[in-house]
Amino acid sequence: MVDKLNRREFLSATAVAGAAMLLEACKSDTAEQKAAVGKSSLNNINIALIGYGEEGKVLLESLLNIPGVKVVALCDIWDYHRGEGQRYLQKLGNEVRAYENYEDLLSKEKDLQAVVIATPDFCHAPMTNTCLKAGLHVYCEKMMSNTIDGARSMVKTMRDTGKLLQIGHQRRSNPRYLFTLNRLLHEANFCGKLTAIQGQWNRAVKEDFGWPKKYEIPQSMLAKYGYKDMHQFRNWRWFKGLGGGPLSDLGAHQIDIFNWWMGRTPKSVMASGGLDYYKNHDWYDNAMVIYEFPVDQAVARAFYQVQTTTSAGGGYYEQFMGDDGTIRMSEDPAICAIYREARATAVSWDDLTQKGYVKAKPLAADTAKVDVRETAALAEYEIPVFFNKPPHQPHLENFFNAIRGTAKLNCPADEAFSSEYVIHKANEAVAAEKKINISDEEVRA
Amino acid sequence: MATHYEVRVAAEERTYAAQAAQAAFDLLDRLEARLSRYKPNSDIARLAQLAPGEKLRVSEPALACLQIAKQMEQITQSAFCPTPAALQTQPALPEWNLLAAEQSIQCVSGRLDFDLGAIGKGFALDRMAELIREWDCPSFLLVAGGSSILAGDSPTDAAGWSCGLGEDDSPHRIFLSNASLSGSGLAVKGAHILDPRSGLPAPRQSRAWILADTAADSDALSTACMVLSEAELIGILERNHSWLAFLETEEGPRPLGRRSIPSPA
Repeated sequence: MVDKLNRREFLSATAVAGAAMLLEACKSDTAEQKAAVGKSSLNNINIALIGYGEEGKVLLESLLNIPGVKVVALCDIWDYHRGEGQRYLQKLGNEVRAYENYEDLLSKEKDLQAVVIATPDFCHAPMTNTCLKAGLHVYCEKMMSNTIDGARSMVKTMRDTGKLLQIGHQRRSNPRYLFTLNRLLHEANFCGKLTAIQGQWNRAVKEDFGWPKKYEIPQSMLAKYGYKDMHQFRNWRWFKGLGGGPLSDLGAHQIDIFNWWMGRTPKSVMASGGLDYYKNHDWYDNAMVIYEFPVDQAVARAFYQVQTTTSAGGGYYEQFMGDDGTIRMSEDPAICAIYREARATAVSWDDLTQKGYVKAKPLAADTAKVDVRETAALAEYEIPVFFNKPPHQPHLENFFNAIRGTAKLNCPADEAFSSEYVIHKANEAVAAEKKINISDEEVRA
Repeated sequence: MATHYEVRVAAEERTYAAQAAQAAFDLLDRLEARLSRYKPNSDIARLAQLAPGEKLRVSEPALACLQIAKQMEQITQSAFCPTPAALQTQPALPEWNLLAAEQSIQCVSGRLDFDLGAIGKGFALDRMAELIREWDCPSFLLVAGGSSILAGDSPTDAAGWSCGLGEDDSPHRIFLSNASLSGSGLAVKGAHILDPRSGLPAPRQSRAWILADTAADSDALSTACMVLSEAELIGILERNHSWLAFLETEEGPRPLGRRSIPSPA
């Protein structure tokens, strides 16, 4: 854990060195490149967005907020989404060229520096490997792949090509998460000794995705791109061979935080889950997982549940519980909370506030008056970080800053591989109905 | 937007209709993520953090909704206002510029406490209707919070979607197709509508309805009706013949405006 913290601190400390790297990198732009209007450069990074489904739409909104980044091409095999994206960008005054096939895009777009990939999981490895080999930096949505081998191949290609490969675990660039990990958990040791972790993402029952009849993709084309039929194409997350199911779609976010904040991967996983509600899917619609993390000659157990049949349970979060206190984190700031145990008297709330680790929530009452009535509410404290951006934007910014040489990736593929490896193992544990040990060696790509 | 929505689709196979409705609800979720002041990362919540002089790029739906809001504010002489409660916490209404070319909103003065509660529901219905038409489901009725509805084509063999003005089973009904009806009033939530021009509870009507082509217009105007004097309202309706107002009276809703009342005949 300490090594991890030091590494993060090192990253922020290298900002000055990063600036120097930027100057060096700028020198590599030829005079011709600098003269050409709109030509891709470190100040004006031309990118393509591959995949304009639900996640692609979310990423595009953040991309449009980032200065010096221009989406020049869009790719999606579905003309309905492709046209929607092209029209949307056109409305914003951003003309893009649209492609059905990413290889076609790569052969025609000669002024790209990077691609953002937001396609179904089983497409990630072939697309990422091809794009890296074409000399492009890649931001690829999580999961890296629907298979461990696919994910491993991406790490290898990243190393072989020397190009950047950021994986879309966007919480790793979230200022609230970074502050809470580095300052509150590590520096202030707010939780004391970590003894347990809990996380969840529960969602209500939802109709499968459909499609407008007139936009149905011909069967031959679906087969060419790896789908059995239109229902599978629209609901790929539920099908083996295409995605990894809810543990991978939703659980990946929380389980990645478990690993990141613990500074290591767990030594074992046991899980139970099943396909107990939906009748036309492959993947489990519910799962409960327990990981064991070695901590100071002992074990901290991490429980994770994902339900797709109920939204009960307080949303989506990761909760780190220790003998001195608890931190509950979420991408939704309204869910974030901090608690202290009564025994944690060595440092007061006032001390923590003065040092900037926490801040007191505003009191509603007029502090100039005292009214005797029922027992007043306790003072509440919160994490003192506010950021005025959509959740994915800082992670994309980190990617582009890394291209410019002013930052290092917050979630490079090799780190993401280790984290995602144990998510694959949770799915495996559900199937095996037994505890699976995970060695430190096997999680490395 | 913190209210319930309904999607009804007529003359379509059940599963297909349900999937179209689900797609509309998914779109609604995306719109709410942009427009709700209760979502900390929404465009609207982020705009409230701007200092005077600062600007923020917002999403296309947020800009489009604010663009309509600005138009309605001008048309109604600020009886409709997208920052309706500002006078409760600030000395004056905040000022802002809509920079369409930059896809941005600029704060000129004050704090941009946008609350799209009186237009966002209708705007969302308009966008949901566009999507449902893409699914080739022309006959639909969309309901937001019981106060705004947007009708597509009439159901088969019907003159329109039968919509009551007022309580459940109201005898005062109009038959809507390809039009929107919104209502505002004091009966359900009490005096919750503020006159943005004074910061005080709206004094005019106990209940009013607006019939319009789009739900964003009907939603915003019905709220403005609670604030406008009758003379002001007549002036506005004289300039736009696609709007029809109904004001509640003891004899029933009284129409104002030149648009004809949709009837079953």
